[in-house]
Amino acid sequence: MSAAIPRQSCDVAVIGGGPAGLAAALGARRAGASKVLLVEREKALGGILNQCVHDGFGLFLYKETISGPEYAERLIEDVVKEPIRVETGAMVLDLSAERVLRINSRAGYRLVEAGAVVLAMGCRERTRDQIEIPGTRPAGVLTAGSAQNLVNLQNLRIGREAVILGSGDIGLIMARRLAFEGIAVKGVFEILPWVSGLERNVRQCLLDFGIPLELRSTVVEIRGRDRVESVVVAEVDEKLAPVAGTERIIPCDTLLLSVGLIPENELARRAGVELSPLTGGAVVDETLMTSTPGVFSCGNVLHIHDVADWASFEGFAAGERAARYAAGERGGGETVSVSAASNVRYALPQRVSRGLAGVEWSFRVRRPVRDAVVEVKGRTSGRVYARRKFPRLLPSELQKIKVGPAVEEDLEVVSP
Amino acid sequence: MSADRHPVYDVAVIGGGVVGCAVLRELSRYELKLLLLEKASDLAEGISKGNSGVIHAGFNVPTRSLKARTNVAGLKLVYELAETLGVPHRKTGKLVVALADEDRRRLEELKSQGDRSGVAGLEIVDEAAIRRLEPLARARWALYSSHTGIISPYEFTIALAECAAQNGAEVRLEAGVEAVAFEGGLFRLSTPQGTFAARRVVNSAGLFADEVARLAGIDAYRVFPCRGEYLITDKDCGLRLGMPVYPVPPRDDPGLGIHVTPTLEGNIILGPSAEPIEDKFDAASTRPVMARLKAEAGRLMPGLDRVSYIHSYTGIRPKLVDPRGGDTFADFVVEESPRRPGWVNLVGIESPGLTAAPALAEMVVAMLGVRLDLRLKPEFNPERPVRRRFAALDDDKRSRRVAGNADWGEMVCRCEHVTRAEVVEALRNPFGARTLDAVKRRTRCGMGRCQGGFCTPRLVEILQDEGVPVEKISKRGSDSRLFTGRIKGGT
Amino acid sequence: MSAGTVIDRLTCVLCPVGCALAVLKDDAGELQVEGNQCDKGVPFALGEVLHPMRNLATSVPVAGTAARMVSVRLTAPVPRELIFPILAEIARLRPQAPVRRGQVLLANALGTGADVIATRTVV
Repeated sequence: MSAAIPRQSCDVAVIGGGPAGLAAALGARRAGASKVLLVEREKALGGILNQCVHDGFGLFLYKETISGPEYAERLIEDVVKEPIRVETGAMVLDLSAERVLRINSRAGYRLVEAGAVVLAMGCRERTRDQIEIPGTRPAGVLTAGSAQNLVNLQNLRIGREAVILGSGDIGLIMARRLAFEGIAVKGVFEILPWVSGLERNVRQCLLDFGIPLELRSTVVEIRGRDRVESVVVAEVDEKLAPVAGTERIIPCDTLLLSVGLIPENELARRAGVELSPLTGGAVVDETLMTSTPGVFSCGNVLHIHDVADWASFEGFAAGERAARYAAGERGGGETVSVSAASNVRYALPQRVSRGLAGVEWSFRVRRPVRDAVVEVKGRTSGRVYARRKFPRLLPSELQKIKVGPAVEEDLEVVSP
Repeated sequence: MSADRHPVYDVAVIGGGVVGCAVLRELSRYELKLLLLEKASDLAEGISKGNSGVIHAGFNVPTRSLKARTNVAGLKLVYELAETLGVPHRKTGKLVVALADEDRRRLEELKSQGDRSGVAGLEIVDEAAIRRLEPLARARWALYSSHTGIISPYEFTIALAECAAQNGAEVRLEAGVEAVAFEGGLFRLSTPQGTFAARRVVNSAGLFADEVARLAGIDAYRVFPCRGEYLITDKDCGLRLGMPVYPVPPRDDPGLGIHVTPTLEGNIILGPSAEPIEDKFDAASTRPVMARLKAEAGRLMPGLDRVSYIHSYTGIRPKLVDPRGGDTFADFVVEESPRRPGWVNLVGIESPGLTAAPALAEMVVAMLGVRLDLRLKPEFNPERPVRRRFAALDDDKRSRRVAGNADWGEMVCRCEHVTRAEVVEALRNPFGARTLDAVKRRTRCGMGRCQGGFCTPRLVEILQDEGVPVEKISKRGSDSRLFTGRIKGGT
Repeated sequence: MSAGTVIDRLTCVLCPVGCALAVLKDDAGELQVEGNQCDKGVPFALGEVLHPMRNLATSVPVAGTAARMVSVRLTAPVPRELIFPILAEIARLRPQAPVRRGQVLLANALGTGADVIATRTVV
């Protein structure tokens, strides 16, 4: 006897209840969507914020800096005030191009048909294997985020002596966290010639604790039969290849990897969403809609953010647009494409409605640069639509540039 | 050294790899008191998990060798057992490709060798046929073997052991044999779990079979470790491989040459390489070999050098001839020790050991049967309860599972869609294996592209719920502990 | 125009310009700041060198549990040298559930005027 699969429907389904998803659910509700569903795979809402116990969040959204959990709770309080249907411990296993979600949770397995979908699944961490560190496969190799979860949320002592690869903020913050708990951090190694994270974090997470930072270096081997016993580090050349003869062995029992975040777009792929190789996230237009009609994207799953507030702002916007789509509003019409050139790694949105004025782009540079003039130009005409001077541009900081005039041709965002 | 108060076993099998478990299963068909002793914290911890998972047809080993005879005999048995035991597998076929024209003769030699060994389904095919059989393969000529297949080698190993266990055989993990004594006509095997007495012993200790034999005073063997490195692609790498594709084996390579093999899940495995190593425990992947694997794979299949790889692993072959020497062929050694009657050694069981395992098992049982009274068990149950993975079910079945038990609704592995119910079931396996790798091998949890980033914190919670204290949570037993304790003393 | 040896370099975080500041000490032991494009950079840099202040955040287990955690932070930065002493105080805390976000778990930590507050609600 076949059980009828419960089939539900909603106006807007938001996948992911972190800083972007919470905002998207609110944005959809405030734009008039009556049935908003928020699906979160953890037992509690908040996403990655729940394990980010340090402060630095909320400067733009709440005009004060607070910790990740506080930031999350405030948004959650707003969400529960609304008739938004929240499902936690629920994972979306599949999303079709027709916006049918397959959701599994302890409460049951069911299908949901959504008028519009907002992708807010966040990101995952690059693994040891993806950067192909040679050596053995002992216990004690963790990504920084996993370590943060185990330490902050489960009160677990992950080792005694650690080495951290990658100077992104997660790595720096975990260095401090480990130092707080008496776990020795032998060093932080960064393959590039510059630090990926905030300089303030280098000071407060490394210098304060006498933790050495070595740039232009990487881990070239992991050693240890069952548990990490040491790592071998080496300097790298301009091509980022290890330089023979510079190898050093560092005894340790833990290696934390903070080597990059990857938007989690498996569901987007299943829905046929076009992804950009530059961001790892969806190609979107100015409404944050992807190439699949009615499917919107925001937050870390769209592109990796460094400030949670911006992920939330994107979420509010995507949620609002999703609600309008679900209510029948359609764009259509011609679009122009926007690409990144020279020192700009990517610019977003990658597509814009022709004739639209006042569009704002988010972008990141590849290499740090000072006193840079960034321009938005016609790709063939060279016409300058916007020009802005930045005293300092860092790859780790997401930036914005706004264009006043209506956009009539394919554009590129250029930085020296 | 006296035995603890354990029963006297008719046969003790040393080594829980595919061969040991096949032997145990075959023995469990008879009225015998059986014990398997495995030194690691789970079965299939040695070369049984470090290979490409290929069911070989038997043409790439010399005719009349024991390797060839047991491979050919084992081929049919493996497919039958996999079917009966519900182990996922597929008869994919295989192509051995000639990249250069002069290699065509090698293909013909291989085919002849196969013909002489009684291997069916071999055919030399041309470029057009190659393209039809496997669109990703590019070559002028190939030897097509229609009976070759793929299987999960560790799932097979575990299934064999589960069948044996349900038919009364005992399996003890973390029970490596440390000393052997002879008293009252019995072998007394000392392990960390106690000392066990057995009338007969089967030494299938893989890489350590020579050392175990030496414990029994048999100094006839020396195993030379030869490491093979592997790389696995992401399932969504953009390339879909239908069957294993091997280049013609180079004459100077003690392995099989670097080949590409699909997994049942849709990954592509590159490898193995072949490097002689000094230390049997040196399971490291190395930079030059990883680069070589990709380069050679790219030669075999355009694009394969540039896709995303999610994992690397190694397998260490137990070679009986120093691989640094010239001639590299050595046959399986399966023999009852003349010095120690009743003690059977299986040494040098490298490829095609997986396929040959059931035939080797029959051979060993026949050897033991000369002295043991073998009576078939009328109630022998050849099957074992198998439940399909949640990820493989349709909507309807998924819905019913969750409605029946909410643990099927709780997702633990985001990449492979493994549920809590499957993890708990895996942890409650009959052997007491409770490591992260034990869960991984039984459920696929941790085998996806995030390589445990998402599931590890969840598994850690579930392990505690299942009674494993945090200080004991380990990747694969003993010293591979994840934690040194709690940060702030709780409670 | 340099006056003395550089004893510290840091990037100012008070505005997006991010001036690269240098703090120098001359023979008389006087400190001077260079690289600032506005006045605010001077007290910022001198503060960092003379009396660096830090906030801190960690988590503590709810009383009677080993792994139900309450995340905590200070309500204001404290002198850097008090980080470990305050962490030691925090490590002893075992708040009883329920805990409200913002609830003071330890008032005026080591006399600094900064409270240790819970940063999430635990029921």
